[in-house]
Amino acid sequence: MSHEQPVRILASSAASRMIAAQYNRRRFLSFAAAAAGAGLLAACSSPDGSTAPRATGAALEDKLTIYTWGDYDDPDVLAQFTADLGPAVTLDSFNSNEEMISKLVAAKGTSGYDIVVPTGQFIPQMVENGLLAKFNHDLIPNLKNVDPVFLGRDWDPNNDYSVVKAWGTTGFVYDKTKITRELKTWKDFIDAAMNEASGDVSLLDDPAELTGLYFWANGIDWTTTDAAHLDAAEDFLVNTLASHVAAFDSYPGGVAIPQSQHALMQAWNGDARIGILESADPDRWQWVLGNPATELWADNWAIAEGAPHPEAAHAFINHVLDPEVSLAELDYIGYHTGVAGIEDAAREAGLEMLDLVFFTPEQLDMMHTGEVNDAQQRAVEIWDKMKAAAGA
Amino acid sequence: MTTHSTNAPVTMLDTPPARRRPDWLKGPRAALALPAWAWLTAFFVAPVGMVLWFSFGYKPGIFGTHANDRLSFDRYAEALSPTFFQTFQNTLWVGVTGTLICLAISIPFAYWLAVKAANRHRGILLAMVMIPFWTNFLIRTIGWQIILAPEGWFSGLLQATGALDEPLDVMFTRTAVLIGVVYNYLPLMVLPLFVAFDRVILPLREASKDLGAGRWSTFINITLPLAKPGIIVGILLVYIPLMGDYITATVLGGAKGNMAGQMVANQFQTAQNWALGSAMAVVLILTILISAAIAFLVAWLASWPLRARGRLVLGSPK
Amino acid sequence: MKQRTSLIDLSMRAWAVIVFAFLFAPIIIILIYSFNNGRLLVAWGGFGFDSFASIVTKPAIRDAVWVSLQAGVISALIATVLGTLAGVALARRAGKWVPWFLVLLVLVTVTPEIVDAVALLPWMVFLGQDVGLGLFDNGIVRLVVGHSLFSTAVVAYIVRSRLIGLDESLEEAASDLYAPPLRRFTQITLPLVTPAVLAGALLSFTLSLDNTIVAAFVQVSGSTPWPVYVLSAVRTGLRPEIAAVSTIMLLLTLGALALVAVVLRRAGDSATDIAKTVGGG
Repeated sequence: MSHEQPVRILASSAASRMIAAQYNRRRFLSFAAAAAGAGLLAACSSPDGSTAPRATGAALEDKLTIYTWGDYDDPDVLAQFTADLGPAVTLDSFNSNEEMISKLVAAKGTSGYDIVVPTGQFIPQMVENGLLAKFNHDLIPNLKNVDPVFLGRDWDPNNDYSVVKAWGTTGFVYDKTKITRELKTWKDFIDAAMNEASGDVSLLDDPAELTGLYFWANGIDWTTTDAAHLDAAEDFLVNTLASHVAAFDSYPGGVAIPQSQHALMQAWNGDARIGILESADPDRWQWVLGNPATELWADNWAIAEGAPHPEAAHAFINHVLDPEVSLAELDYIGYHTGVAGIEDAAREAGLEMLDLVFFTPEQLDMMHTGEVNDAQQRAVEIWDKMKAAAGA
Repeated sequence: MTTHSTNAPVTMLDTPPARRRPDWLKGPRAALALPAWAWLTAFFVAPVGMVLWFSFGYKPGIFGTHANDRLSFDRYAEALSPTFFQTFQNTLWVGVTGTLICLAISIPFAYWLAVKAANRHRGILLAMVMIPFWTNFLIRTIGWQIILAPEGWFSGLLQATGALDEPLDVMFTRTAVLIGVVYNYLPLMVLPLFVAFDRVILPLREASKDLGAGRWSTFINITLPLAKPGIIVGILLVYIPLMGDYITATVLGGAKGNMAGQMVANQFQTAQNWALGSAMAVVLILTILISAAIAFLVAWLASWPLRARGRLVLGSPK
Repeated sequence: MKQRTSLIDLSMRAWAVIVFAFLFAPIIIILIYSFNNGRLLVAWGGFGFDSFASIVTKPAIRDAVWVSLQAGVISALIATVLGTLAGVALARRAGKWVPWFLVLLVLVTVTPEIVDAVALLPWMVFLGQDVGLGLFDNGIVRLVVGHSLFSTAVVAYIVRSRLIGLDESLEEAASDLYAPPLRRFTQITLPLVTPAVLAGALLSFTLSLDNTIVAAFVQVSGSTPWPVYVLSAVRTGLRPEIAAVSTIMLLLTLGALALVAVVLRRAGDSATDIAKTVGGG
């Protein structure tokens, strides 16, 4: 026992020297690692977000991600782009401008999206909040193909951040085997929704079109910021209409129309056209343009700030502004693309159901563009509450 | 080895070496939990703490997500306002009903699996319970959409056989929501129940038969109470994720499948109101914790006479 | 008496058949519909192999599956290592820290996924953009972190309950023989918990592969995992190729399961044991 003790002490003192030496070495190593790490981090992070890659006309990246509305591009056009120019395209979809903007705001430039497709009235604030990157016009020579009517709109006078992708409107589709009377206006829509189509109605999952539905039906300007109007809209939508709603679906043309899931569906014109064309029995469906008033929206190609593949993004936008590609897009999505002469080209090519794509001057008179104003937040709250009430 | 040379000599000096389980062994063992602790603190405690903090703030403007310069409970009042409160009620209803249905389906099934099924097949049968998990849950749910379609073949079959007079009307209803959630969480109930029955059944059945108890009374009075830990695990494994899930419910239930999770997601994904969304998230966690606590309290009180009798049976000398 | 029991047995067996039918009905439907030549998955448009062919021409689908597999393996590894160490520490009790740690684990388990999701996105963005840790701008890193939380807690439970059921005498004998702690850990403790560790790893991988809610929030587009790809596609209607991918994945996993079963049988463990371990036995 007694001679074991000194050995231990020796061992421990030797060990403590070793520990001390190791500790110092470790500490040095960890400092070195931290310093190197900081250097590395400084190299790959962008403190003010301004060092994000800018397109200069260099070689295209191998990927491109597009955050857009559902079913909004011809798959063949995307495949052709990849085949011709290389970048593989990933699509992701949103239901509303609000959803797209939330994602961009939350991710602060790390969403991974290259191209986003906002509706015109949302663009000024997206620019103001640093969500969009400026175009390099040299890389989009096909801008010259766009009908001048659609260039330089008030939301982006010089097309610095955006160029028209498609424009369209809102109406509804109903199943003539289930609703036997003729529906012509938003008032008829609401009446049917609360009667024969109760529990069999779908509405767009987008705040603007929900409050819009009420305003259009009641002859109120849908850009109103009048609190009394908004209160009335909330009361009607949340307390009266919500319980009749079966689904909030921004794209009934995808499944609901082909599968006859609902009798009455609020829809955008191009999506309604896709659904009816895909239906086994197209004659069953009736499209009605919103009446006496409805919206006129214009969606735009734009590049997200922090886009990881800016060269490919420019190349893609340039690609779809080619008149032939644009015609293929129109044929698939069913919306006017804003490229000059597209209407004549479409009629000449004999595309189907063009009455859902091009509108008469009288119809255009009924359409009004939306606004992002003081009522915006309120509209989102109404959308939120209406969804909660519909689930009850 | 390094651990040995760095730790042993230092601590050994002030610890007598006579104890059978020297204290220095405990040190490194507790340290084994450190990595998990650090990881969960960095990626669970910190972010969830941040959500808790957001919930006392407000939304400053259209493009602002949250601000905390004024603190209040206003967002909680908003989250519990009648419109949103309904959604918490619905979620609770779907959660409780779904869990009970899972339990009702699983008790006889897991019992059969643990006791009645042939020994050599048991492994395969168990694997078959797990297989649905290997197909993405959304795709499985879409499978149900095909089955439940009003103009689908199943509806046609039911009409042709006279079971239904008109097309199947289940999609976009509460029933569809329940089918979806029960389907998705059933295996999570079966597995722990199986383990519980498997563990208690053999010794007990023998003992109870020796005492002349009938099968039914053995099951109610002995098997079930002894399987209680497994039942509790199963209920928690189903109930907690079910309360937070919202995707299954909306795919089949549409507007009727609006769950609290969806409401939380809406605030972050569309409304950009992180303050309200955070408050809703906290309310959701509290709903889960409080409802679970109440359920256990009720079960504990209700089983009191049963437990007294159980003790009597087990405690009686042979 | 005999008559009655067999009737009960019979009805239980019938119930089992019904439950299995319920579990497999949608999967068989998806299997059949993966040979659907129509445009929409849910609308039958004739039998054919178009959907399988289109997987080849759509790199996005393969990328998504590949991202999911990567995230699954890495997060399972992390959860297994962290959870196993924590489980060992918990089981071989070490004092006052245990209740605190258990509270943390319970909190992790009872927190609904959506709460993790909404909390993690701003947190990762904060770490990546404001703190400047560029690592957290990476899609795979984000997915791995998000998927590992719940799994770590689950592995810790499983390993803990396995060890608690085992006598500590072996490990004590080893320490009596002055085996160094690390060697004692690798040679005695680790083999004892191996089934639990394997079960935990398998479970973590499965959970990660199916994780949609957290993934949908934290994902960086371009490294989109498979469930999020599917979720996005659901909006406008799933195409048959998504069912085709599921069919392929199902067949592959069945193969992998069979392989695991063979290996386990060699090792003397059965699927029942694995299930027991998973269930906390």
